[in-house]
Amino acid sequence: MRSERVEEYLEAISKRQQTEMPVSTSSLATDLGVSLPAVTDMMQRLAAEGLVDYEPNKGASLTAEGSRAALTTIRRHRLWERFLTDILGLQWDKVHDEACRLEHATSPETEERLAALLGNADTCPHGHPIPDKNGTTKDQKLRPLSDFDVGQTVRISAVAIEEGRLLRKIGKLGLKPRSIAKIERKDDDDGSLELRLDGHTVLMDKATADCLLARALSPGEEAADEEIPMIMLQTGESAVLKSYRGGRDMLGQCLSMGFTPGSPVRMIGNFGRGPVLVKVHDVEVALGRGMADKIMVTRKNSDARKA
Amino acid sequence: MLEKPEKLDKKTFVVALAGAPNVGKSTVFNLLTGLSQHVGNWPGKTVEQKTGEVHRNGLTIQLVDLPGTYSLTANSVEEQIARDYLVTEKPDLVVAVLNAASLDRHLYLVTELMELTPRLIVALNMVDVARQEGMKIDVKALESALNMPVVPMVASKNQGLKELVEIIAQKCSQPTDSPAVGHAEYGSQISGDIAHVEGLLTDEDTAPYPKHWAAMKVLEGDSQINKLVHERLSETRRAELDSFLDDKESAAITLAGLRFDWVQNVLSSAQERPSIGRHSLTEKLDRAATHPIWGLVTLAAVMGLVFLVVYGIGIPLQRFLQVSLIERAQTLVFDHMQFMPVWLQSFLGNGLLGGVGSVLTFLPILFLFFMAWGFLEDVGYTARVAFVTDRFMHFIGLHGKSSLPLLLGFGCNVPAVMGTRIIESRRARLLTVLLAPLIPCAGRMAVIGVIAAAIFGGQAILVALGIIVFSLVVLVTMGLILNRFVLGGKRATLMMELPLYHEPNPRTIGLVSWQRTIAFIKRAGTVILVVSIIIWVLSYFPGGNIEGSILGRIGKSLEPVGKLMGLDWQLLVALLTSFVAKENTIATLGVLLGGEGVGLSEALREMLTPAAAIAFLVAQVLFVPCVATVAAIRQETGSWRWPAISIGLQLILSFLLAVVVFQIARLIGA
Repeated sequence: MRSERVEEYLEAISKRQQTEMPVSTSSLATDLGVSLPAVTDMMQRLAAEGLVDYEPNKGASLTAEGSRAALTTIRRHRLWERFLTDILGLQWDKVHDEACRLEHATSPETEERLAALLGNADTCPHGHPIPDKNGTTKDQKLRPLSDFDVGQTVRISAVAIEEGRLLRKIGKLGLKPRSIAKIERKDDDDGSLELRLDGHTVLMDKATADCLLARALSPGEEAADEEIPMIMLQTGESAVLKSYRGGRDMLGQCLSMGFTPGSPVRMIGNFGRGPVLVKVHDVEVALGRGMADKIMVTRKNSDARKA
Repeated sequence: MLEKPEKLDKKTFVVALAGAPNVGKSTVFNLLTGLSQHVGNWPGKTVEQKTGEVHRNGLTIQLVDLPGTYSLTANSVEEQIARDYLVTEKPDLVVAVLNAASLDRHLYLVTELMELTPRLIVALNMVDVARQEGMKIDVKALESALNMPVVPMVASKNQGLKELVEIIAQKCSQPTDSPAVGHAEYGSQISGDIAHVEGLLTDEDTAPYPKHWAAMKVLEGDSQINKLVHERLSETRRAELDSFLDDKESAAITLAGLRFDWVQNVLSSAQERPSIGRHSLTEKLDRAATHPIWGLVTLAAVMGLVFLVVYGIGIPLQRFLQVSLIERAQTLVFDHMQFMPVWLQSFLGNGLLGGVGSVLTFLPILFLFFMAWGFLEDVGYTARVAFVTDRFMHFIGLHGKSSLPLLLGFGCNVPAVMGTRIIESRRARLLTVLLAPLIPCAGRMAVIGVIAAAIFGGQAILVALGIIVFSLVVLVTMGLILNRFVLGGKRATLMMELPLYHEPNPRTIGLVSWQRTIAFIKRAGTVILVVSIIIWVLSYFPGGNIEGSILGRIGKSLEPVGKLMGLDWQLLVALLTSFVAKENTIATLGVLLGGEGVGLSEALREMLTPAAAIAFLVAQVLFVPCVATVAAIRQETGSWRWPAISIGLQLILSFLLAVVVFQIARLIGA
């Protein structure tokens, strides 16, 4: 098995490669918080092992083998993050560091079980795609939220920087990966945004908007069979239950309360905080927000909304 | 297992009532059995068990009220009790009580009951509510689709009960040619899986559960059955079973889905649903009752009304009993029974009448609280309380279901502790039980009122309010600490049904309140009696007066501690006697301080600096729960461990914080 240090480097290069090719040693020094000479040293070692192509003064890029190794580490990292939030119930701003430690101590078998337990989740809690077993990643084609124009409806899909304070700030705004927001106003001077989200108006400075990655939503697209957490339904919306995220311990309770896949559900009260009120099988059920976040539904198509 | 004596002239039959919470099952049970009920606990559990008898056509029907459950998978103690009862006791008949307004959901339980017992009938309750919600149910069609008798009824209006008893009696007297246990058709895929698991097991592996049923539960991942089976299997067979189950993780979901499909199929012929877009009365009311702001306003109004009524009637009644019964009897003992030895007079007058008698005068208040609680429950409002308060309770690791018990605590801690039984998770229940006695109850507020008025005059209200707020801050802090560091286990998440609002049934409410009061007297009575006598003995012997008694000496020996909070031994003794009832604090102070011609207020003013008075109030409001509350904690938790923890915790809190408060108050020169 490769050393923890090597895995860290490969992971950092892989992430940087999305925006920078080849990756400069100074970028890596910043990302990893180490000195330049240390990076140069390591690059030479990795090049000798055939994991990177490295040209002094230009930078490094991953070889096929290096790329596979990096994606494995990333996959483990993001699976652990999912596990920590969904199963252990940690807050999303705390899981990154934990996952950094766990990812290096993970055997392929543990990785496989983890993925199965999580129902082959495809994104980490911060919205980044989890590479599949073969190391392929769905390209999400995301842009920073600050790039979009007034009037556009976007799906906020990921948070670019997984830093605790930023994540807590975003969480407080009520934003989450998969949230749908409409840009209502944009300040020309400081670039701050006014968003319409779940029936609320949210104000956001440009620095935060830069860190949120989103993609434009064409009209009617959200009605497509996309699974969203039940918590995102607004009062009055109907949906069909599809699947669960999270551990088996909640499963029994969900099933006996009537939350079975295929069941039609209707959101009777979602006030943006506190538990939600859902009608399922002719019974009104109050559900904690955490629980409602783990039950995945698809919205009923738009003709229900017209009616 | 013993063979049941199967006789033709059998005259006694056992009938179990099964059903989800909020379907009116207890109403049906209460109306059928009336006062001939026996209330106890299920063996080894703290879940209430009710049994009762019905007589009809020379038959004796023993009715057993199973705990309210939505399904028979072992998610909770209640579900485990219900299914174990069906399996091991094999009742002659099971009546499934369903809510006609949400059949879609409640027939699910019938699919699971069918898997355990072939002798099943359906009591279709709340047909009036279903009609009101715009649903039409064809009873005949339902009977033929389910292949079992269906009795429509409105239990809250006493309709359909006679027919139900008729059918029960008829079914019971029929010869017991019990057909095999069946179940809904599950399709070849899952049936194959069930058969495969069944093939891996023997009857001994699953006893006392039927093999087919156990196989299904193993497949569903039922923790209790899985554990049982795994313990009995040899290693190789266990491995074989595990490898088969490895990729069957979704079987539980599939089975639940199939059961709901079956329900849909049954209903397609028997039920006509209201047009979409129609909003029911419940939904309209809930727009206010569950709103984040209006819901809280509604809650405040409802609780205000409850306290107004309970105190408006209860307090004068308590005063009346105290003055015209207890005090008169005390006068009788002290003034007219001088032929008795003095110690006996004191025992009767102070020990029994003053202790147990005074506690008994609070029974009307307790009963009224049980009535209010029963009323809110029967109308369906309690679930809304849990809903609107849920987000506040999360701070201390609880969920909304804990708030109603805590709110009741402002009246009396006893119903607060007893109210915790609606909380399913044991952890949340224990936490609530430990927190409830920190709520300043009416008794403590009375003491605060008297002392604050004596010392602080015009500012008494501010001081009293300050003390109440202080005790609530302590409660929240304790909640945070206990939740984070002491109690292990998972935090509670809320998932509960909000039942449809419906008209309350006075008979049920009266009966339930009566039973709760009686149950409390029965179980707490001895404890209260024993503790009252002990406190009396301690306060009388050896000197014959409280000053020279053991209690007085304990108070004096505690004086070094008392000095730290600025309190003399008399005040410490007053605290100790408040263990019997919180109001005793005043009475004891009256005895110890009220000399000739000097009123209690004056004596208090002389004795206490403002700093010491505040320290005393803090100590008093946090001091150990009264004996009635301790007895209630014992009753609800089923062991002496939790009352002991509660007493220890509050003793430490009370003394510690009183010292801190006194020292700070002295520093800032109060």
